[in-house]
Amino acid sequence: MNLQYNGEEQIPAGWDKVWAFVTDPEKVGNCFPDVIDVTVHDATHFDAVVKVGVGPVRGKFKLKVELMPDAGGQRLDMKMSGGGFGSAVDLTAGADLVEAGAGATALKWRGQAVARGPVAAVGGRVLDAQAKKIISQAFANVRERLSA
Amino acid sequence: MSAQATAGQSVGVAMKRKEDPRFIQGKGNYVDDLSFPGMLYLALVRSPYPHAEIKNIDIAEAMKVPGVKAVITGKDLEAAGLGWLPTFHGFDKQMVLAIGKVLFQYQEVAAVFAESREAAADGAEVVEVEYEPLPVVADPFTSKTDKVLLRPDREGKTNHIFHWEVGDRDGTARALESSPKRISQRMWFQRCHPAPLEPCGCVAYFDTMGRLQFHVTSQAPHVYRTALALVTGIAEDKIHVISPDLGGGFGNKVPVYPGYVCAIVGALKIGRPVKWVESRTENLTSTGFARDYHMDVEIGATEDGRVTALRVATTADHGAFDAAADPSKYPAGIFGIVTGSYTFPVAHAEVDAYFTNKAPGGIAYRCSFRVTEASFAIERGMDILADELGIDSVELRRRNFIKKDQFPYPSALGFTYDSGDYHKTLDTALEKIGYAALLKEQAEQRAKGELMGIGVSTFTEVVGAGPSKHFDILGIKMFDSAEIRIHPTGAGIVRAGTKSQGQGHETTWAQIVAEELGLDPQTIMVEEGDTDTAPYGLGTYASRSTPVAGAAITMAARRIREKARKVAAHLLEVGEADVEWKDYKFQVKGVPAKVVTMKEVAFAAYTNMGPNEPGLEATYYYDPPNMTYPNGAYIAVVDVDREIGEVKVRRFVAVDDCGTVINPMVVEGQIHGGLTEGFAIAFMQEIQYDSDGNNLNTNFTDYLVPTSLETPHWETASTVTPSPHHPLGAKGVGESPNVGSPAAFVNAVIDALSPLGVRHIDMPVTRDKVWRAIRDAESGKA
Repeated sequence: MNLQYNGEEQIPAGWDKVWAFVTDPEKVGNCFPDVIDVTVHDATHFDAVVKVGVGPVRGKFKLKVELMPDAGGQRLDMKMSGGGFGSAVDLTAGADLVEAGAGATALKWRGQAVARGPVAAVGGRVLDAQAKKIISQAFANVRERLSA
Repeated sequence: MSAQATAGQSVGVAMKRKEDPRFIQGKGNYVDDLSFPGMLYLALVRSPYPHAEIKNIDIAEAMKVPGVKAVITGKDLEAAGLGWLPTFHGFDKQMVLAIGKVLFQYQEVAAVFAESREAAADGAEVVEVEYEPLPVVADPFTSKTDKVLLRPDREGKTNHIFHWEVGDRDGTARALESSPKRISQRMWFQRCHPAPLEPCGCVAYFDTMGRLQFHVTSQAPHVYRTALALVTGIAEDKIHVISPDLGGGFGNKVPVYPGYVCAIVGALKIGRPVKWVESRTENLTSTGFARDYHMDVEIGATEDGRVTALRVATTADHGAFDAAADPSKYPAGIFGIVTGSYTFPVAHAEVDAYFTNKAPGGIAYRCSFRVTEASFAIERGMDILADELGIDSVELRRRNFIKKDQFPYPSALGFTYDSGDYHKTLDTALEKIGYAALLKEQAEQRAKGELMGIGVSTFTEVVGAGPSKHFDILGIKMFDSAEIRIHPTGAGIVRAGTKSQGQGHETTWAQIVAEELGLDPQTIMVEEGDTDTAPYGLGTYASRSTPVAGAAITMAARRIREKARKVAAHLLEVGEADVEWKDYKFQVKGVPAKVVTMKEVAFAAYTNMGPNEPGLEATYYYDPPNMTYPNGAYIAVVDVDREIGEVKVRRFVAVDDCGTVINPMVVEGQIHGGLTEGFAIAFMQEIQYDSDGNNLNTNFTDYLVPTSLETPHWETASTVTPSPHHPLGAKGVGESPNVGSPAAFVNAVIDALSPLGVRHIDMPVTRDKVWRAIRDAESGKA
């Protein structure tokens, strides 16, 4: 099952602060909703364990995450793959950082997820809404932490 | 007719089922009821990917879970020479646990053994498998292109599994071309699943003598024993297979599954009993599914509706392994019955099967080796032809039926139909449902714009595989067997190579013995499913129990009767030639007062046998001379709600001719169950895969089993045309209602929609599909 989402967060912080945050594996990892554990391997790789619940299917997902910042500092791509309780997900997310004036930065993001196994079988009824919530929440968390 | 038969007539009596008190009191003995000291539990790690390379399996975390004793993977099994399992018809093999790659979603990848079911599940959850996804082939038409090769392990580097054909290809083509009328229709008999309420499971352990004690949900225990001996190398005398009570099977419990092999390996490796019972999801996603035949059906006819030729070309989706348990000479089963009840002068059928990234299987679900697909094809085809010709579908059938005096009838595709009276069976159904009045009502309803449909199916099945010259499983000929022992007091035991899954063998086998020997069926015990005690048999599926084992029981009982005749002669103090079997007793010919009962003879066989061999027992292995051809006429009446597409089955009449009936109540029960399943297939059930190979029907909220609320009221009747070659004249019935009913339901719905120009809807005929068909028709798209 292929799912696609996009959105935008207005962050009341300058580009340099936002860029430093979103390229920090520890910080990004802790923005995942219901994160249980983040293990950083290097500047661009980390593992995250998150709690997931889609309808009756509940459990822990272990995700391998790779951050792929572009050299120009305009865009960050992220690849996540992993799964748990017999399910698998592959996620790609990309965010463009756009200066929005008055010390603010717009984070324009889009994500794509492929789900397989029991989480895919529960299908469009709940998976779509749930996946959208998780991915939106992750970017909302970035804004919240940077606003604090 | 008494409902509690005693000595005297037993066959034909609606005797209450002897097994039911046990079942209705919750005292059945199922595999999951078994418990042994020190028993471990097995949980399987399954793949979320439909097609992926396995890069690595890390079991370290699983081994840390409290209670987990061992984890094994495909590599471990491969090293032990147990990596692959032969499939039952012998032309493919299946991975026990994935080796190198996975080929379908929910495929078995690793086995976790633990002290409790929960610990095993916890362990399975943390086995880390690294997959590299591969392109997915989710349908046989994509598979055909061979762009993605699914099975590089096979010699032929293609996804094409087999081509099979029967009949006269050129003659059929010529006949079709020269026919004044022709119809053609693609029909997909969807992938569905038998979904027995008890899923598959086993307990394996090695006893103090080093013998494998294997309790398993099996419809064919002896075949399992031989297959296990061949796969594991354990000597067959060191394997004891016990199939206890089964909570339904419908063909799902014929194949040997990877979980069974893993349980045995675990028991051997760890030295403790291992239980494996799959979950509902595991049952629906990885065990033997049914059908998945895409059939192109063409029929030629004269202007006045005489059929001239039939051609059916099928593309079959067999999933990741060719695990359809077909007889070895019949890779497409007995699909050649596709000419049905009609006198086709010429016909041709072919099947091409392909691998896909879906679960393996293909012939289960109350179906005698693809007979259901064949019956659906011809019965839908005849309705489409009737529509094309503007002839009433009942009249078209009548004109083309094989007539009563044409039996034994050689069909264009090589079968010799044993007996039948199709006109009588159809007439019985028409009368019971009041066909003429229904046609009148339908015309009135149509005038008002209401959608009322009448659907007919007059099917002929072929069951009772089968004659040894044609049929075998793994080379083992498809005979069946019985052993009967009559005890001194006239009670007895019959053991057979079959295995009841709800068919009521404990009752009907006792009735046959009682009928043949003039004994009380209540005192004839029936035992099946234990390979240490039962004679070798091929098991219960394909409606073969009564046609094959029922015949073996009859013949064994007659052997006993012949032996008893000698003892009776001794008791009656006459020569054996002067003793006759009359009114369920032995009597001196012409002297009705000089009689001796079988009960008396039985006692004498142990106490006063005279010059005869003591004891009273016999064994018979029955190799049927032909298959049997049960048939029926089913009529469904439906009302379709034009606004929301809802189909209501108003009435359903089923008239079955299964030859001699052993127990009418048991037969009626089988017909009710089979019709309910046929109803489910027609309207509800499908195992769907999305284009990424995700199985979307993994539980009973997505794969529907009808309850009494949805199930229509069934009206049943019968005609009896005995099989001339079966010792009792019986033909078998278990699958008839499932084989015959889907076409009746679909024909009724299409008949209801025919004023709109709708010609065909693939099953399941859901409300959604009907609604769309109506909307498309109304907007001129149909």
